[in-house]
Amino acid sequence: MYKVAVVGDKDSILGFKALGIDVYPVIEKDEARRVVDTLARNKYGIIFITEQTASLIPETIERYNNQMLPAVILIPSNQGTLNIGMDMINKNVEKAVGTNIL
Amino acid sequence: MKVGRIIKVSGPLVVAEGMDEANVYDVVKVSDNKLIGEIIEMRGDKASIQVYEETTGIGPGEPVYTTGEPLSVELGPGLVTTMFDGIQRPLDAIRAIAGDFLTRGVEMPGLDREKKWHFTPTVKVGDQVEPGDVIGTVQETTVVLHKIMVPPGVRGKVKSIEEGEFTVVDTVCVVEGDKDYNLQMMQKWPVRRGRPYARKLNPDEPLITGQRVIDTFFPAAKGGTAAVPGPFGSGKTVVQHQLAKWADAEIIVYVGCGERGNEMTDVLMEFPEIKDPRTGESLMNRTILIANTSNMPVAAREASIYTGITIAEYFRDMGYSVAIMADSTSRWAEALREMSGRLEEMPGDEGYPAYLASRAAEFYERAGKVVCLGNDERVGALTVIGAVSPPGGDISEPVSQATLRIVKVFWGLDSSLAYRRHFPAINWLNSYSLYQNKVDEWMDKNIDPDFSKNRIKAMTLLQEESSLQEIVRLVGRDSLSEGDQLKLEAAKTIREDFLQQNAFHEEDTYTSLNKQNLMLKMVLAFYDEGKRALDNGVYLNEILDLPVREKIARAKFIGEDKVSEIENIIDELKNNIDELISKGGILDA
Repeated sequence: MYKVAVVGDKDSILGFKALGIDVYPVIEKDEARRVVDTLARNKYGIIFITEQTASLIPETIERYNNQMLPAVILIPSNQGTLNIGMDMINKNVEKAVGTNIL
Repeated sequence: MKVGRIIKVSGPLVVAEGMDEANVYDVVKVSDNKLIGEIIEMRGDKASIQVYEETTGIGPGEPVYTTGEPLSVELGPGLVTTMFDGIQRPLDAIRAIAGDFLTRGVEMPGLDREKKWHFTPTVKVGDQVEPGDVIGTVQETTVVLHKIMVPPGVRGKVKSIEEGEFTVVDTVCVVEGDKDYNLQMMQKWPVRRGRPYARKLNPDEPLITGQRVIDTFFPAAKGGTAAVPGPFGSGKTVVQHQLAKWADAEIIVYVGCGERGNEMTDVLMEFPEIKDPRTGESLMNRTILIANTSNMPVAAREASIYTGITIAEYFRDMGYSVAIMADSTSRWAEALREMSGRLEEMPGDEGYPAYLASRAAEFYERAGKVVCLGNDERVGALTVIGAVSPPGGDISEPVSQATLRIVKVFWGLDSSLAYRRHFPAINWLNSYSLYQNKVDEWMDKNIDPDFSKNRIKAMTLLQEESSLQEIVRLVGRDSLSEGDQLKLEAAKTIREDFLQQNAFHEEDTYTSLNKQNLMLKMVLAFYDEGKRALDNGVYLNEILDLPVREKIARAKFIGEDKVSEIENIIDELKNNIDELISKGGILDA
């Protein structure tokens, strides 16, 4: 059974706890990377990560883009969206169908 | 002796009749020019003679004089540092009387008859001596102590022996046996017969050459045989030169057989200037050169190999470790082919004579680690290393095949490696050494208990690399897992930082076993530590970007006196990896 986790700043992600999702608050870059890597190894199937945190560790995000699992999904934080997540979805759609249909 | 008469001349082959008193392999003088030749076939009173000199202008009717002796070399003080032609004529002395190129009919004894040597006896009057016993010594060069031995067939009581300055033909000792034998410092031995020894031993000690790929991965044993086949331009000659320079043999015989004259010039120019790492003396002081370059008579090429190995055997009999390099045995085989063709023999594969394989075996079988004749049971070793030049680099041709059947070490040179500037271009995937087990034992005992384990590990990595390369060619490098990508990088490190060796760099040209061991440990540490980092969540890029990798690449240029720096590099690598893990590694879950 795969698990689901959410990574980001504490204020944005605490609410996920109510849904039964594991919550991993991080502040700085190295910490974020280490948490994501550790989660990936510990059989987490989906890792939600706030865009703000993701923008600190683009290498790590890219790394899991090329793997089937875990699915690293970018979500907006409580400060709003940086549009990175939406861009990534657009790109994936374009790759899949050949044109941007969204 | 009866005088024969020439009836046919075909290049270096002369047929003479009226030779019924001569025997096969006797040396004859052809025509009034006194060209030196050797009988290689007898039919009735017709003798086929291979002439070791140019036969232009010789015609039927001219006389042939038999000497009644087989082709022999003179063995005694004066051999070392000299350059001979294929039938042991000293080229320097010939040049003094005949100019830069060989002229015909020059007769010249192999050893200088004028030069006096200081002879120091080691036996006393009244001592009983057997063949092979050392009766005295001559300091031939600063590094070679020439031992004067009782020639085979002579035994008895020493009647008189003197110390002093003698030429090689002066009597230095009289032995009273079934008759009185006057022993000189010089003895003669027919080149086509191996010199006798007490018994053969199994070669178990490596011939240390200072070449990393050879010593670590494909070692030759002292008293073993090795072949270096390779297409042209792949560095056969450089490998041979490197071995002649750095191999830890006490005597080196270098036979330049049918190759370019410039290559012998290189030897002549370089060797006197290079210092032997063991003795600190000029390398020339232990080297004997036999030159039959491509423009010298073909028949003498056939003899040059035998001349060389007989001289080498003579030094082996003194209890020395001797190495003979023959560059190249293909030219020798071609000389055999040429003579065979002129003899109108039935040709075998590619025109080579049917006896090619047996001749090659005869030559290589004269190698070996032996207990020499004589009462002191000294052990000598004769290592034979032959270059083979297969046309087009295809070793399925007869000379390579005949050679590979006999030799136990195969250093296959690869033109694609040479093209990539990977020198020495010894292909690690198809080369082999059958002395590996014995040498592994020796290395583990004398160098490092882990040596053979490390060697196997490195070889495994190189083999895995070649199978991974195939995947990379199909689907690209990025599709490999990080572990496999690290493997590729580690194999690249082994290739570039360990196997590649620059023969022309002062420090890199020779690597001691101790340094080889440390370097091997270092390149393997890169893989082990890299793997540890990957397991702990460090990204591959971070490992590959470590600045210590540059130090690994430069380790080969570290001087022999500072090899402990390599250990520092290993420590630094470990520390760097520890840092990476503490910074980017995953958490203990």
